[in-house]
Amino acid sequence: MTVPAHHPAPELLLDYAAGSLRAVQSLLVAAHLAYCPECRAQVAELEACGGVLLADLPPEPVSDSLFGTLMTRLDATVATPTPVPAPAGKSLFPGPLRRAIGAEPEALEWVRVVPGVHLSAWGVSAGTASACLLRMAPGSRVPAHRHTDSEMLLVMKGGFSDEFGAYRVGDVASYDTGTPHHAVADADGECLCLLVQDQPLVFTGPLGWLLNRGFRF
Amino acid sequence: MLPKADSNDPTMPDHEQLLLAVARNRDSTAFRALFDHFAPRIKAYMRRLGADGSAAEELVQDVMMAVWLRADRFDPTLASASTWIYTIARNRRIDRVRQERRPELQPDDLAPDGGEEPPPDHQFEAAETASRLRAVIGNLPPEQADVLRLAYYEDKVHTEISAERGIPLGTVKTRLRLALGRLRRAFGEGA
Ligand SMILES: [Zn+2]
Repeated sequence: MTVPAHHPAPELLLDYAAGSLRAVQSLLVAAHLAYCPECRAQVAELEACGGVLLADLPPEPVSDSLFGTLMTRLDATVATPTPVPAPAGKSLFPGPLRRAIGAEPEALEWVRVVPGVHLSAWGVSAGTASACLLRMAPGSRVPAHRHTDSEMLLVMKGGFSDEFGAYRVGDVASYDTGTPHHAVADADGECLCLLVQDQPLVFTGPLGWLLNRGFRF
Repeated sequence: MLPKADSNDPTMPDHEQLLLAVARNRDSTAFRALFDHFAPRIKAYMRRLGADGSAAEELVQDVMMAVWLRADRFDPTLASASTWIYTIARNRRIDRVRQERRPELQPDDLAPDGGEEPPPDHQFEAAETASRLRAVIGNLPPEQADVLRLAYYEDKVHTEISAERGIPLGTVKTRLRLALGRLRRAFGEGA
């Protein structure tokens, strides 16, 4: 397995480690970490930074009774040994996404956007952000669209290219607001990505009204 | 001789050893010492992030319960005690306050394609690194330290920091990246 060449922005790793990143974007970051030793190391460092900041906070005294209350609660809690996680089995999805979706790609429903390009009916959204899966047949093109906000793609199978680079399994492609891009799936196989948007996409062009419906979940 | 957690108290075993004692022997004296040190800091962390006094103490209880129940998962080669407790506090807060489950990587998540063993992850001498890191954070220029603290203590993502402080997003990113570069060097020195 090769290591990813395209990573989430460092600020995003910081937001993730600090706990301020919201659930949808955190899902993409956590999924990328499954592929990327470099970002795992960075997140570990940023968590160590959180540890230092915690240790150095001016302490605020807690109620005298708090320890006693805690011990009473602990006595009432049956200590369960750390469960040994069931063997995950072979999944196309990285663990955090597998747990979020609870099904493999074949078991999901897909909505066709244009020939060769599908979006999953599965999706999550929180606040202004949403995520779903994007599946592209070999060599297919995602229609031109403009962004009202940022977009990120995590490749989980195959690969694609656009004017900014070539993306393979584990890579994250990030597009700022208003950056048009034209993704073309690699010719040698299907490409499957996690798509995170921080606002619904607005497709331009004659089929726009139809495509925009596909992005609502 | 035991390493020191607290340089003013030479008799004090360090927090890592206390956690290991809790894991191995369910040592309640060790747990009490961890509680006395960390509970007021966890409370301060939760208060900074907007919890009122009683909500903060509820969260302190949650976190310290998890420390007791999950001490067997603490690995001192991967994280210092305060880093490990920080991650629990962070995640508990997200669960309770935002009513979200934080998407987390779990140990068996590596190599989702079932490929070969991943290379061993970053390991570091956690306690030594913490003191280098503390020095780096202490010496950050104020504007870099400020954006860093906002990220950890005010539940603000960098785009929100930009909007609320009226600092251009590019400037926030530059400050964060400069701060992150300095933090990274603190780890590099130990390798
Ligand atoms: Zn990465």
